[in-house]
Parts: sequence; structure tokens; C-alpha cells
Amino acid sequence: MEITVEVQSATRGSVDPHLSIHAYEAEGDLMLLHFGPQHPSTHGVFRMDLHLDGETIVKATPYIGYLHRGVEKLCEKLTYVQQTPIVDKNDYVAPMTNEQALNMAFEKLLNIEVPRRARYLRTIFAELQRVASHLVWLAAQSIDLGGALGGGSTLFLHCLRERELIMDLFEEVSGARFHYNTHTIGGNRHDLPDGWSKRAQAAISQIESRLSEYEDLSLGNQIFVDRMKGVGVLSAALALELGISGPVLRGSGVDHDLRRDAPYHAYDELEVQVAVEQGGDCLARAKVRFREIRESLRLARVAIDGIPEGPICSFKPTRQPTQVKLTGGQAYAALESPRGELGTFVIAGGDTPTSPYRLKIRAPSLHALAAIPYIVPGANVSDAVAILGSLDPIMGEVDR
Amino acid sequence: MTARHLPLVDEGALPYEHPLYETLLSIPGLSVVTAPLDALLTWGTKNALWVFPMATSCCGIELMAAAASRVDLDRMGTIIRATPRQGDVMVVAGTITVKMAPRVKLLWDQMPEPKWCIAMGSCAISGDFYRDLYPVVPGVDTFMPVDVYIPGCPPNPEALMHGLLRLQEKIGLRREGKLTQAEYRPGLLDLTKPRVGRLGDVTRDAGLSDAQLEDVSDMTRRDLAEESSEIVPRAEPVREAIASSSQEIEALLRDDFGVTEFPKDAAPLVSRGDHRRLAHRLRALGYAQLIYVVATHFPAKKTDPERFEVAYALRSIGRKSTVVAWRVALAADETIASIVGVFAGADWQEREQFDLVGVRFEGHPDLRRILLPADWSGHPLRKDYAADTAHPPWR
Amino acid sequence: MNELVHGALYGTLIATAILSTIAMGIWFERKFAGRMQQRLGPTIVGPAGLLQPFADIIKLLQKEDIVPRDADRGLFDLAPILAVVCSLGVAAVIPFSPSIIASDLDVGVLWVLGIGGLMVIPTFAAGWGSNNKFALLGAMRAIAQSVSYGVPLVLAVLVPVVLSGSLSISGIVAWQAQHHWFAVWPIVPGLPAFVIFFLAMLAESNRIPFDIPEAESELVAGITTEYTGAKFTLFYMAEYVHTLVGSALGAALFFGGWDGPFAPGLHWMVLKTLTLFVLIYWVRWSLLRFRADQLMRLCWTWLTPIGVALLLVSAAWVTFGGTN
Ligand code: SF4
Repeated sequence: MEITVEVQSATRGSVDPHLSIHAYEAEGDLMLLHFGPQHPSTHGVFRMDLHLDGETIVKATPYIGYLHRGVEKLCEKLTYVQQTPIVDKNDYVAPMTNEQALNMAFEKLLNIEVPRRARYLRTIFAELQRVASHLVWLAAQSIDLGGALGGGSTLFLHCLRERELIMDLFEEVSGARFHYNTHTIGGNRHDLPDGWSKRAQAAISQIESRLSEYEDLSLGNQIFVDRMKGVGVLSAALALELGISGPVLRGSGVDHDLRRDAPYHAYDELEVQVAVEQGGDCLARAKVRFREIRESLRLARVAIDGIPEGPICSFKPTRQPTQVKLTGGQAYAALESPRGELGTFVIAGGDTPTSPYRLKIRAPSLHALAAIPYIVPGANVSDAVAILGSLDPIMGEVDR
Repeated sequence: MTARHLPLVDEGALPYEHPLYETLLSIPGLSVVTAPLDALLTWGTKNALWVFPMATSCCGIELMAAAASRVDLDRMGTIIRATPRQGDVMVVAGTITVKMAPRVKLLWDQMPEPKWCIAMGSCAISGDFYRDLYPVVPGVDTFMPVDVYIPGCPPNPEALMHGLLRLQEKIGLRREGKLTQAEYRPGLLDLTKPRVGRLGDVTRDAGLSDAQLEDVSDMTRRDLAEESSEIVPRAEPVREAIASSSQEIEALLRDDFGVTEFPKDAAPLVSRGDHRRLAHRLRALGYAQLIYVVATHFPAKKTDPERFEVAYALRSIGRKSTVVAWRVALAADETIASIVGVFAGADWQEREQFDLVGVRFEGHPDLRRILLPADWSGHPLRKDYAADTAHPPWR
Repeated sequence: MNELVHGALYGTLIATAILSTIAMGIWFERKFAGRMQQRLGPTIVGPAGLLQPFADIIKLLQKEDIVPRDADRGLFDLAPILAVVCSLGVAAVIPFSPSIIASDLDVGVLWVLGIGGLMVIPTFAAGWGSNNKFALLGAMRAIAQSVSYGVPLVLAVLVPVVLSGSLSISGIVAWQAQHHWFAVWPIVPGLPAFVIFFLAMLAESNRIPFDIPEAESELVAGITTEYTGAKFTLFYMAEYVHTLVGSALGAALFFGGWDGPFAPGLHWMVLKTLTLFVLIYWVRWSLLRFRADQLMRLCWTWLTPIGVALLLVSAAWVTFGGTN
């Protein structure tokens, strides 16, 4: 028990997330502000109750679950084959990586090799998806800082414009703007249409050239930097302890990226440069994401150039829902989604061999949000919005 | 405020008219004046539809995209206002859950008349494939009126614009007295109760029916014929299973924690008393990141009593990152020591497992429900919990 | 008596002109924002979307008028009216041409600062009266902001007063017409004073980057969160009127008002006013917003000391061989 205390004080700082508000002695009255679940900058249906002393936040209590849709229960009921389109909807800003994480776990259980071409396709999709997702982050972050009726929305709309280029590419492959349902157990369903690579390269060049404009508009903008610098500082130790991963962790100075450290898809054939920033504040996270966009564009370009010929699935794409049967075993597979370590833990078996006994989606956003009670107190309301934006949570995967 | 106190639908509401306008209409002989005035007012109403976004999930992203450059709702004068007081159209974009529905209803009531509602996407229309699940409201028209339905998952931004244009038509018609009421169907709520089994019904899921097969092309039929074989796991053990495969960890578990069995396709079982100590040890060894806490329910079988299993996994940081996992078996009435003291991230994870599976974590500082509303009863991820459990009045 | 008729006539004319400019201003802003954001802005309602603001207003006037149950009814109803009155009131002493002025007060500058400063009252009335926490926070911020930015504003406005030796705005404009525009010469107190005036004016009228009182991303809609229909329309208009009148004031105080060659004075005044108006929207649609403490820091550590220095410089200029 003594060790516990030591751990807590070493990494968690002085903020107590379970602080009883009665223990706080304010000079005047405290104001309780219900922030969400329907609020322009809660990124969906997140709610936090802020206790304000003046404009300074004394305590932040997050509430989640407003989008709890019972996905895990649904997955227990559906067969293995039927689940891809369901998990698409979890992290709805990056559906591609959802599908991949799920199918990777099933492939591990079944011990199936994915053909090399499919692994390349997955890499390309994952990287483009990361770009699209980070663009949405920048869009949302600038709305948080600049308002829907001002400069923020200008940057917002520009980012969405570039995102459309990627959506178009994905639509060509899968037929859907998002919620693609293009991965399956053992590979991919859809091969690239003719001329896709060329169009993709063109789109990548276009995004690359415009990215520097966005950098000027955000990181080159003194107001943006002032609003983000030193705000929401998250120490590396606390971030790790909370299980935070992805850009938020790397913004706190931890050099960790599953693409390099536990390679999957075709990443062992590609050199991944991991973006790490010290500082742990919102600005560091923003810088990490900007560097990641560049790196992802580069990786996507290399992968498109190096894409091998061959089958895209290790067997004919499944067409019957009951085709996959498993009697037992457990597996956990994870990948680096735009938000961090997105994993799927499956327990097979039970009465129905065609569907998992228990399926758990390890959502990076859930862990990122858990930092809120630690890093928001002491900031003011404007900062809270910036911090929430820089954690980039997607409620679909937080609540599932 | 509990959901039960809200009136569900204001029955028999007439289309709203502004009091001034009503007074004007009541003056006899004024129709000469009111006819063009009426046209003007209708024109104004139709062409300045400000959207109050009830964007909860994926469809909300498309709602955003619709306001962006490619479709640009502002072309038709539609802008997005964040406060319900200044919205004309509530666009319900996304799944509405039982926890969210009271808020949706409240916000709808806060909007000033005349107001309209667009249900964007299958979730808002009917609950989509979540329809039969315990936390999801099967369509917003079960508790509030909906004027326009836009199907799709998600509907394209263009479809949203089309929906708004349809709404304009409808507003015009209603002013002319042709359509007087929004369509709301509280009765749908009853329809969702007694229904044919859908989830996990293998007979229904087993491919296409004969009748359906008649329709599909030769191509598809050939594919089906070729694929009728089943995919089952290969004989070799699972590649790189989540078992604690490294020699060092295995030795640690064997020597210090008395673990004797190391299954090939699952994590080793650690005794209930030891597991918190194990978490400490692993953390000291560099497994610094909490990956998951997963509880699983195993209902009573003929021979076995009811039991739970809680699985944990940690990850080491840096190059060559590996995962180490272990499981703890619990009897139905046993609790397990919380590891919040070791990993702060376990706070929400354990709350989630408590909420969904019902495992109690000893020493957790704040063991409350996290995903479901506080007044929920039962733990949905237990095997004996029906997926489609009702939760009146919302589903 | 004659003066009264004159005042009433021109007052009505100017108010009408301002209000109809507002409608066009809204249209222009939406188009302008659209262009900046790679979209079209209103195109469907009327030619090139010109009728869009009218449709908006017609719609807003038909909306139900909701007063929250626990609101302070009197304050809640009064606030929007006061907002329009205060912002229009400033226009009374602004000369749109040598003769077009509602009331040529000798202490016009004081009137402007006084009435402009009164804007705090409707803001607070709205924030307090609507019994909404977001509105209250917005009102709190607005008061802190306009009280602080009142100081640099006064300092900046005093520069032309000192330079011209007149407290009447038409006097200041006439002086500039005879001599030179203050934004041009003397360049040192003149141009920086204009910049400070411009920034303080943005802050007073809650425009980005100083729009923290109504920061939609934090406070939903700030003080107007609970307002519907007609009352919201009033706030909506007051905001634009405030900006427009502020631009007119800047044009009169620093850019010689109606002074200009070839065309009649009114044309020049309108041109200068609209240029400043567009400038404000340009800033609005390209910048992000400050945080409250940064805003205060900017005010107290930069604008106010510089304002004081400028005032001293202009006093020195007048004393030691300025152009007077
Ligand atoms: S209809 Fe589809 S896209 Fe829309 S919220 Fe539901 S699941 Fe998401």
C-alpha cells in the first residue's frame, strides 16, 4: 500500500481528480457550469461539469456515455464477418483504422497471413486516413479557438476542403464517402481502380502544398500560439499512467509509436519517422500532429510507389456471414490510429462458433479524456475548450 | 430531472402563427393585404432556415461537411447556430441514446416556434443497426415530431441540402393549409417491442435466402458456390498470442506468483490476491502503459457455477514494444482489487467494466456507472442480459 | 425650434441610412466570408443572394418570443432596445457631410465616449436578465473588457482633440479639411493613435480577435444565448450598427471625415466609413480570438501606456510649433 502512495505523488501531481468540491475554500460563491453534452465545442456529446471560481476552473468532472450504443454487445451477437461495418462507426473520423484493428485481431485468432499487396493497401489507407483525421482535428481546434463566426471557421473550411480530396479517393475504392467496409478477414475487399495511384499522388501533392499555408495560419499565428502554449500541460509520467497514446503521448515527449515499435501492415518495410515534441502542452500536441501529417503523406507516397502486385485477400472475400468459425482462443491486436493505440481484444468460443464470446475495443480517446480532471483545473473556460480540442477525442469510440 | 417527467409529445399542436399575424388575419376584409403579406412571410421563413445541429455522431461530420466549401449550405441562407433559441430546424444527426434523448427533447422544447426537425441518417430515423440494442432510441420520431427524413448512413452532404429543399416545399405547403401537422409517430415505440428476433438469429443470418438467390446474378451465384467452405483456424497455435511470451516474464510469473500454466492462446491466470502486486512489479519492469481491463461474464452451466474473468494488459514503451497480459478468475460473489493506485488509467476502465459487466473493484475511489445513466438497472454485457432490453419511456 | 426640426429630420435620415446599410452589410459580410473560405455565400435568395438579410429579418420577426421562466423580465426586455439606442445614439454627432449631421454638439467627443460607454448596460442587463450562466459569463467578460478598453479608446480619441483643439466632431473634421488628416500628419501621434483607436473599437464592439464575450465556442452565444426572434434581431443589428458607427467615427476623427477632392463630402465620408467597415470584417474572418487575460494584458501593458505617450506627444506637438 505504501508503494501506491509513492506512485501517486510522483506522477499525478497535486491535482486530485476526485476532489470533493466542499473541501475547496473559495472567496466567493462557486459557479457550476454544465459544459455539454450539447455544446458547440465538446466534439460530440461529451459533458464536463466545471466548478468555476470567477473564471478559473477549480474542478472538472467529465461525464461520458451519451453516445453509448452498445457496440460490444452487438458484436457478441453478430458473426465475425458482419462486424466490419459496425466498428466503422466507432471512431467516425477515421473509419479505416477501426476496420483494420478489428480484422487484425480476427486474423490473429485465425492465424491468417494477409497478402503483401493487401498490407500495402492497408498502409496507404491508414496513412491517408490519418491525414484526413488530423485535418479534422485542426479544423475543430481552430473552431475552438476562433469561433464559428470568425477566423476559426475560415481555417476550418479550408481543412475540410482538403479532407474531401481524401474522401474522394476512398470513395473511388470502396464506394462510400465514409464507413467504407473495405477490409475483411484476411485482406481487403476492393482493389484499387485504374489510375487511382496517379490521382492519389496528385491529391497528396496538393495537400502537401497547402499544408504550409495552414501551418502559417495556425502555428505561424501569434494568437494561436499564445492560446496553446503552456496550456493543459500533461507530464509524460501521467500520460503513460493514464494509458494515453498517440499524438497526445508524443506531445508529452514520449518516443512511442506502434508503427515503428510493434510494426504491423507494411510498416516494417517503411521507415517511420516518429514525431516527438517536448512540452506536453496543447502547442506540442499541435506540432506533433502537423509533423505527422507530413510524415503520413510521405509514407503514403512511398507505399503507393512500392505497392506490389498480387492478391488482395488470402481467400475469396467472405460473402456468407457464418463462414468464419472459431472454437476458442483470445487475441489482442493493436494499431496506431490517428488518436493512438486502437486495439481489439477478442475472446472466441462460447455457444456460437461464428461470433465472438466477448469483444472489447480499446479506444485511445477514452484514455485521453481521462486526463481532463488532471489538466483542466487551474485553467479558465477558454483554455478548457483548447485543451479538449487538443486531446482530439471522438465520442463514438469513447462511448462505443 | 428524470426522463419520465417530460411529456413526450404535445398532442394536437396546431402549426404556430405569430400573434401579430394572427391578429392581422382576424380583421375582416384584410385579405387583400394579407395575401401578399402572407406570401412575403412564407418567403422569409422558407429562405432563412437556421440549423440547430443536434450532431451526436458520424452524421454530424457530414453535417459539418455540408456547411463546408463543397456544398455550402450558406448558399440557401442556412447557417448553423449553436443555441437552440435561434435555430429554426433541428437537424438530428447521429444516434440518440437513452441517456441523450431527454436532452434532445429538452433542447427541442427550447427552440422557438415555428420550428422543424430533420432526422438525418438511419440512426435518427430508426436507430439503424443499433435499433435493437438496450441504450439506443429507435428513431427520434418516437418522442418528437419529425418533418423530413434523410436516409443514409451517413447521408451525403448533398442529401442534406436536398432535405432542406424538401423542407422548404413542405413549409410552403403548410402555409397554404395543405399539410397541417408534422408527422410524429409515438406509436412506433410499440412497434419496436414485439418483433421477430434479429440479433444473432443464425437462421436469418445464414447467407441469402432461396428467393433472394433467384434474383442475384450468375456472377454472384458462382462466387457463393465457390465460397461455401468454412474458414477455420489453422492448426498451429496463434501467432504471437497475447500470452506473456517472453522468457523473463514467464520466469517472473512462475517464480514469484506461482503460475504454473501458460496456455498457448490466452494469457496466464494469476491468483486474485497476487494480481495487484503483479501490476506493481510489471510497472517497475517498464510496462508503463495500461492497455485494457476487460471483464467477461460466464453464466452458470450445468456443472460450472457462474463466474467472471478479468483480463489486464500492459505495454512497454519505446522500441520493440511488447504487451504483457494476465487474467484473474473470480467467482460470482468475489471482488477484485482495483489497480487505480498503480495505474491512474484504470479508473475509467474499471468503472466501465463495473458498469457493463458488474464486477466490483475493491478500493476503487469512485466506483459509479460511467457509460449508462445512473438509474440503469442490470449490467448489459452479462450473458443473461437481453440485448434488446426495454428502457421506458425512451425505448 | 429650427434646430429641433433639423435634428429630427437628419437624425431620422441617418438612422434609416445606417439601418439599410446594415442589411447590405450583412449580405456583404456573408459574401466576403464566403470568398475567404472558398465558398459562395448566399446565392439563391434574390439576385446573388442580395435579399438574404431581408429573408433573415422577416423570419426572425415571425419567431416565437420566449422569455425564460426565471429571467428578470424587465431587464431582459429592455436590453435589446437599449443596445440599439446606444449604438445608434453615437451616430447623432457624426458629420456625414458639412451639413448632414443630426446634432452638432460642441462636446460631441464627450457624447460619443459617454453613449458608447453606456453599451455596457444593455450587455449586462442581457447577461444578468436572461438567467443563463453562459450569458452571465459573457456579460462579465464584456464589462471587464469594455471598461478596460475604454481607457485606450479615450486616450486615442483625445489625440485628435488635442491636435485640433476642438471637442466637437464636426470641428475636428473641419480642422482636418483645412489643414491635414491626422492619420497622415503628424504621423507620430496620428497613425498610432488610429491603430489604438481601431483596436479599442474592435474590443468595444466585441469583434474578433476581441470577441470573447460572445465566444461561440465557449459560451454558446454569450449574452444573446437566450434571445429569440425580434429581440435577437435587435442585438444582431446593434452589433452591426456599433461596428458601422465606430468605422464612421474613425473616419471622421482620423481620416478627415467628409474631406476629399472632386466628389461631394457625403461620398467621401461613406467611402471612408465602408473601407474601415470592410477592414473590420477582414480581420474578423482571418484571426482567432484572444483569451481574456491576454486581452487585458494587451490593453494594460501596451495600448494604455502607448496611448498616454501619444497624448503627451500630441500635447508637445501643439505646444512646440505644430501646425496650429
Ligand atoms: S446513420 Fe450511420 S453515419 Fe449516421 S450516425 Fe448512424 S451510424 Fe453514424
